[in-house]
Amino acid sequence: MSERDDLGGLTCEEVREFAGAFVLGALEPAEEAAVRAHLAGCDDPHAEIAELGGVLPVLAEGVPVVEPPAALRGRIMAAAAAELEERNAAAASVTASAADAGTARSAVAPVAATTATRADAAPATPPLAFPTATERDARRSRAFAGTWLLRLAAVLAIVALGGWNLVLRNDLQAAQSYEQSVAAVLDVAAQPGSTTAILTPTEGSGAGLAAISATGDVTLAMQDLIPTTGGTVYTAWAIAGDAAPISLGDFKVSTNGIATFQGTGAPSQAGLVLAITQEPNPGNQAPKGPIVSKGVATAAT
Amino acid sequence: MTQADQPLRLRVTSPADEADRAVLVRLADGELDALEDLYDRYKTMAYSIAYRITNDTTLAEDCVQDAFLGAWRNAGRYIEGRGSVKTWLLAIVHHRAIDAVRRRRPTTELPDVELPPPAALTRPDVWAEVAAGLDAELVQAALADLSEVQREAIELAYFSGLTQQEIAERTATPLGTVKSRMRLGLLAMRRRLDAGPT
Repeated sequence: MSERDDLGGLTCEEVREFAGAFVLGALEPAEEAAVRAHLAGCDDPHAEIAELGGVLPVLAEGVPVVEPPAALRGRIMAAAAAELEERNAAAASVTASAADAGTARSAVAPVAATTATRADAAPATPPLAFPTATERDARRSRAFAGTWLLRLAAVLAIVALGGWNLVLRNDLQAAQSYEQSVAAVLDVAAQPGSTTAILTPTEGSGAGLAAISATGDVTLAMQDLIPTTGGTVYTAWAIAGDAAPISLGDFKVSTNGIATFQGTGAPSQAGLVLAITQEPNPGNQAPKGPIVSKGVATAAT
Repeated sequence: MTQADQPLRLRVTSPADEADRAVLVRLADGELDALEDLYDRYKTMAYSIAYRITNDTTLAEDCVQDAFLGAWRNAGRYIEGRGSVKTWLLAIVHHRAIDAVRRRRPTTELPDVELPPPAALTRPDVWAEVAAGLDAELVQAALADLSEVQREAIELAYFSGLTQQEIAERTATPLGTVKSRMRLGLLAMRRRLDAGPT
């Protein structure tokens, strides 16, 4: 039996001591990682882990029976169906791209319907006020200081980091979906007279990029958004100068956190602020919910 | 013979396991009907454990939804593994529910959201199977074998999501003692289950 201490920094004896807490999920994250590292490399099969872990279903058997609400079944099936549709659309889009690489890319992958709800589990986020004219002027000035190369580098970094994170989550479909969304944005960004914006999250999740064509069409690629639930939607807004925010449209987000959105009616001008809010219902013409992500449009060329 | 060398008598493949595996194969093929079958089979167990842990209907529903969708997405990977589907699904539900209650506690260190798949998705691969149809009397007997302090430690970990350190602080007990209570408590239950009905 091996007693190597270079496996996760733990000896076999220490792993045996940790076994009960490990199977109960009661270790600190670092401790759990150390046990996993040890188990992955140890010659000893550590049967005590299986032995103790096998008892857990018994704990569950002792729990009072509570029936789930009937509607939950429908929610789960709707979310799965939407996800399946998204997968199929992504696969079809990849096939089409491979068949004719020279043609324009399919711009929008269907956005899935409602699903589960990190949002509900997370602490409530206080709404953020829309930026004042002074704040927008300040951001505009900072944005103009950048160069196209820097912006391109930032875009590539977002794509690379996004892809890395998604691959870590073993979610290849989501990575492909986001890649397609970004490709659609870059197609618009390459057109003369277009502007681009890098959207950054206000509260930790929901980053992406957008391109606005000379005719005011907006293409948006977002990732790491909290999935929408029930009637909630995300709404994209354009804010030009001191004018009131203009709604560009609503969209929903599935469990993969990816969204591709296309809207119209945005003034194609540098300094335009693009913002994403989480709204309690679709169709709002003035923002009611908090801003989750925002960015300032700058000239693409 | 050490405890670890003893045969795992609960490693039984029941007809229910076989039916589960058939569902899993269809699930891996992306069949929505298979997800419905899995849900109908385990919805009550999943919701009961999620509600027991979260004590909140909305959170419990979210956990169950996440768990079944997670199982649906990962069926292809899991199908090569070992262990019963019930145990696997239960582990996912438990993980989601514990994660939810820990997020609700602002002082708890949260797991890094960028970590690869939840531990519960891989952990059952090293678990022994517990056959479906555990005798209710045997379950009660196994639970009754726990001493009060062992039960407290195990329940605080399994149902309240506390870490061993947090349990030690809450119960004003040395960490080493908490470790022992959890390990020996689970071991006592294991022995009773291995012994079977008396």
